[in-house]
Amino acid sequence: MYLGIDVGGTHTDAVALDISGPGVEVVSACKVKTHPQNLLASVNEALERILKGVDRNKVKRLNLSTTLSTNAIVEGRIEDVGVLVIPGPGMDPTEYMLCRDFHVLDGAMDHRGNETARLDKAQCARAIAACRANGVNTFAAVGKFSVRNPLHENTLRHMLCGSRDDADCHRADFVTLGHHLGGRLNFPRRAATAYFNCAVWRLYNEFADAVEKSLQALGLGHVRVNVLKADGGTMPLAVSRRMPVQSIFSGPAASVMGIIALCEIVHDSVILDIGGTTTDIAVFADGSPLLERAGIAIGSHPTLVRALRVKSIGVGGDSALSMIGDTVRVGPRRLGPSMAEGGRHPTLTDALNYLEYCAVGDVQTSRRGVTEFAEAHTISADKFAEQAVQAAAGTIHEETRALIAEINDQPVYTIHELIEGKRIVPRKLYLMGGPAEALQKPLFSRFQLASEAPEHFAVANAVGAALTRTTTDVELFADTQKHVMFLPGLGHHENIPGSYSLEDAKRDAMNHLLARLADLKLSSDADRAEITHASSFNMVEGMHTTGRNMRVKCQIKPGVERTLG
Amino acid sequence: MRKAERSLGVVFFPAFDWAISPTHPEREERLLYTQDQLHEEGLFDVEGVREYKPDVAERTDVERTHFCFPDVDAVTTRSHLVSAGGAIRAARLVMEKQAERAFAMVRPPGHHAMKCVRGARGFCNVNMEAIMIDWLREHYGLRRIAIVDTDCHHGDGTQDVFWHDPDVLFISLHQDGRTLFPGTGFPIESGGPAARGRTINIPLPPGTGDEGVLMVIRELVMPLLEDFGPELIINSAGQDNHYTDPITNMNVSAQGYAELNSILNPDIAVLEGGYAIQGALPYVNLGICLAMAGMDYSMVHEPDYRAESLRQDPRITSYVEELCRQMPRVYHNPPESPQSAEHGMRDGDWWVRNKSIFYDTGGFQETQKESALLCDNCRGVLQIESQVGSVRCLGVEVPLDACPACQNRGHAIVEQAQLKSAFRYVQLIDRVNKQYSRFGF
Ligand SMILES: [Zn+2]
Ligand SMILES: [Zn+2]
Repeated sequence: MYLGIDVGGTHTDAVALDISGPGVEVVSACKVKTHPQNLLASVNEALERILKGVDRNKVKRLNLSTTLSTNAIVEGRIEDVGVLVIPGPGMDPTEYMLCRDFHVLDGAMDHRGNETARLDKAQCARAIAACRANGVNTFAAVGKFSVRNPLHENTLRHMLCGSRDDADCHRADFVTLGHHLGGRLNFPRRAATAYFNCAVWRLYNEFADAVEKSLQALGLGHVRVNVLKADGGTMPLAVSRRMPVQSIFSGPAASVMGIIALCEIVHDSVILDIGGTTTDIAVFADGSPLLERAGIAIGSHPTLVRALRVKSIGVGGDSALSMIGDTVRVGPRRLGPSMAEGGRHPTLTDALNYLEYCAVGDVQTSRRGVTEFAEAHTISADKFAEQAVQAAAGTIHEETRALIAEINDQPVYTIHELIEGKRIVPRKLYLMGGPAEALQKPLFSRFQLASEAPEHFAVANAVGAALTRTTTDVELFADTQKHVMFLPGLGHHENIPGSYSLEDAKRDAMNHLLARLADLKLSSDADRAEITHASSFNMVEGMHTTGRNMRVKCQIKPGVERTLG
Repeated sequence: MRKAERSLGVVFFPAFDWAISPTHPEREERLLYTQDQLHEEGLFDVEGVREYKPDVAERTDVERTHFCFPDVDAVTTRSHLVSAGGAIRAARLVMEKQAERAFAMVRPPGHHAMKCVRGARGFCNVNMEAIMIDWLREHYGLRRIAIVDTDCHHGDGTQDVFWHDPDVLFISLHQDGRTLFPGTGFPIESGGPAARGRTINIPLPPGTGDEGVLMVIRELVMPLLEDFGPELIINSAGQDNHYTDPITNMNVSAQGYAELNSILNPDIAVLEGGYAIQGALPYVNLGICLAMAGMDYSMVHEPDYRAESLRQDPRITSYVEELCRQMPRVYHNPPESPQSAEHGMRDGDWWVRNKSIFYDTGGFQETQKESALLCDNCRGVLQIESQVGSVRCLGVEVPLDACPACQNRGHAIVEQAQLKSAFRYVQLIDRVNKQYSRFGF
């Protein structure tokens, strides 16, 4: 038995799935209100409800998607962090000053990981002391090009923790090192990600403790707990305690994974999750969801947190209808719920009710509201409702086209990719969310694509959460002239011979990925390991090749364990 | 949130799968460290700075500008069409107002590619800036354009393409041709009879640093640009004036390049040479991007930068000062060039020059006879007879705004040539009727 819980902004959805047979069976599902100030209560309530009549000993796994970290950041319920950055030459680091205790330190690494300026230890000590004097005891230490050489970050960790042992940090509560966030190059994002990771660390761990405790109390102490990430994968709870930032914005990923679980997606496709206030648009290439190129942004701060590429637009069932001149507009504002559900202003759902595309809540109130609004704007009610629906479908279509154009226009760096690279041409539309079925026809007339609105879509997000697999990735950087190989995310480096080849690099990256899977007790997922990037450049000085510069990335492909289809 | 003062589109295309040869300076690795630096700085997360993919230039885009013999496919690879397409994309960004400024950080370079192309010279096959300018003129009707070539080598190709064009002001700053490839670019080379003073060559002594180059930009180039009043300023942004460049002898730093761009304030920059790929390019490219975006570049330094060791010799400074005093004359009051076969001379109604061009990559010599019709009503039809070995080819161009007589003359020359079959290949560029055709096989 697998459990999936998606704690959303307004609702918490949960399912219990029976996987004892060859397929998946939805044993129970529920939707409860989210208590923003007490997410644990929402989780407990959802658990109690889906476990009614279920043998708790048969529950193997709970996958949890929570807005805890996201909310804490949005609402400013985060703790002060000491941010120590080593920017070296380049762009002005004070342009992305993240917080009060932000210290710019001397020292520099270049793009190949050569130390070009040393740390000034006295300066470091002063910065740390200044943070501590402000009562700060969690720290982010981030250097430019630390993913090529982590020396400075490691030195800072040593100074902060009072220990060289990775597991031991007796002088600080928590330290995040930039290179542990993975191998991708982007120093400001690395700094922001490390900062947020520290800022939510304590709150997140308190929540994790509480969840474990209530699972014990509910007789679920044996259950394996995973936490959803925004990239369409999960991480074990223990891992998330050190990387809480990876739990942000996992909601849209749960929905996208849900649709994968509910439908067999093989082609280039568009997924529309039409909710109350927004429509989330996701794009699949050959059946796989696309990731954001660099990572998701938290507020105005771009981060390195990998995320599925989901575009949110202000069209949903509760979007207010308005008229500007002769044009009917849908959203982007929401002025309360639909009239059918007690609101005071006509919405898209009211228009759909009027046209009898659906029957949500009190249809009569919708009819009256739409008619009155139309009369007040000297337009026939039929025309008004029809144009509102057309406008909603039109906006969704336009925004989807723009998204696909943007994806197809994404920079590539080889002639091969530029000329022969894949272009996305959607062949199917998948719809989910409240107004999805009602909008199926108008959307079809815009997109001219076959569409499918799967069963169970109301709890697709919870189903997605329950069935999502654990993902992890590894990046390797090797420089045969310097005889080093480095896996930043794992903090692992090794000396390599001058003869080290790209094949060696790929093999080593894979082996480290598989070893990591074994650590996570997930060796069975080994067949989902794949190399996503491998390049090798000859480094030449004068007319002689002096070495090779290699970069390899591999990952456990995101996916769901089984499908309901 | 970091924000650019001016929006900047960067067409970044490192062509990681293309090299002239494995150890050639123009190889896969060239923009690798630049890519690393730009990505590590998070440049493309700055509000207003965006990365774009290049267009792929069409064969017509090349044939609008160059005479290519035997044909476009024979003298280009896909990399050249992508690089030219990168320049076109940069121009498109600016014209479509998607960005106020654009930088085509593309390779291979093109400023040594001349009007008539028979192969590769100076790492260049076709001329990216020239293709872009002609594309702009055809699609957006632009007329007056200034190109400032800050590559360390004389932009002899760009000079050749626009030699007869009075509406393009071409200014090249470079290490003195007596000390560096291609050995040209002297003040006496100032443009064809219809475009005298529209080519300005500023040779600088080896060892010139930030001080000298910035003095030239400030005191010489900027006043000329102001007088010329171009609709668009383009920087041929070669980076081989850098003090660590392996194939040149200048002393310019990343700061110097950034400041140069900040003063010049070009609408579009197109990368040219620059082969100190680890120690210079990452910093120079970053500095140029920041300067173009109107952002602070004061902290961009090479790790080994020491201002004292790059101080310019006072003798160079006084030489450059003198140059700044003398050179405006070439623009305002161009001297008659000496009449000679090499510099050009009158031959009936035609202005004729004979050229001998060495293609260093292919290792062969081309001899050219270039004739421009001296017309009172337009800049005159142009023909180039090109010979490599025993293969003779003819290119005829009816320039933009050619008078009806010159249009007819151009077509007549092509018909005659076909009748006489004295040429293996004949190409016609008719810019008035946008007709680009070739004959022979
Ligand atoms: Zn050059
Ligand atoms: Zn004429």
